[in-house]
Amino acid sequence: MAKKIRDPRLRITRRIKKDQVFKVKVKFDHPSFTGLGIVDDETNPIFNRAIPVSFIRNMFVYYGDQLVSRFRMSSAIADDPLFTFKLKAVQEAPVKVVFVDNQGEKWEVSKKIKFYT
Amino acid sequence: MKKVLSFLILSFFFFYAVSNAVFAGTVEEEFKIEGLISPASPKALKSALEKKLEVKVIDLNLKSTKTGWPVLRVQFDSMVVSKENIEKVIGEIEDPAGHKFKVHHGPLLANAPILDEEQKAIAILGDTAEVFPNMKNPITDKVASVSRGEKLFVDNCAKCHGLSGNGYGTVAHGFTTWPRQLWAWNNTGPETDGYLFWFITNGRSDMPPWGLILSEYNRWDLINYIKTIKNPGE
Repeated sequence: MAKKIRDPRLRITRRIKKDQVFKVKVKFDHPSFTGLGIVDDETNPIFNRAIPVSFIRNMFVYYGDQLVSRFRMSSAIADDPLFTFKLKAVQEAPVKVVFVDNQGEKWEVSKKIKFYT
Repeated sequence: MKKVLSFLILSFFFFYAVSNAVFAGTVEEEFKIEGLISPASPKALKSALEKKLEVKVIDLNLKSTKTGWPVLRVQFDSMVVSKENIEKVIGEIEDPAGHKFKVHHGPLLANAPILDEEQKAIAILGDTAEVFPNMKNPITDKVASVSRGEKLFVDNCAKCHGLSGNGYGTVAHGFTTWPRQLWAWNNTGPETDGYLFWFITNGRSDMPPWGLILSEYNRWDLINYIKTIKNPGE
């Protein structure tokens, strides 16, 4: 909730050959909250609006200049999620992952792919 | 009789003057509160505020407030305590769960407007729920279409959405998301046609793309029937 948002981190297999399918892992420390809380009305517990809603709305994956994937999320996503997906190494170019949260704030992380010979 | 009347009038003015003098600076203010997340929060907030400042908490309205945020009503002497001071102290109070309260200002921003980058990505990746085609329902004979749609619904959709459209179909229990309650579209106008057609055609999450199974004509029949489904509780 009042947790600090850290810049996303990206991890890719070190030795990648051309046309190899490799794994990309992205960790993003971002809180996720529906905004609701259960409070006691002195008679019975009720749901109410507790704090502003906070969640990652979109994640975009770029390989080189090309947008290759979009992850669409809601407040049901976990706190500090870890995303894993696969890409095919077709070119020596950076992999960039962009996050946008529900407040319209943006974060990005990238790493260059170099082929192992 | 005259004496009694004059006594009453005089006593009225006396009490009026005294009460004015005593409650000259007494005011009531409302604060929208952020941070009430646990059952212990309301009590903690009220007692801590009264302990730290010379104020009286009248009530804490958790339900049925205009904005949805809980509203704390506080009575205080404006000569002794200021509104800003109360806000500051509320911001310093710690909940038993270990987080701080805050006075809420401004509207609730649940979802900021779509950024340019998001808009571009949506355009590149094609059909998504944000861009629905503007479509016109081609079927004119609605009565016959609804009865055809009902049969299609029972055969194809009721397993998940339930016969009454309540979202509790027999096979829905293993899904990652509950199927939608279909009376959300009861009596909606032509503006929802594009959305419903897109959704039925392409599917999402656990819902299959019915565009591969049902003809376009059948999908419009389904849409016509869905718009007649009423909430049984109403």
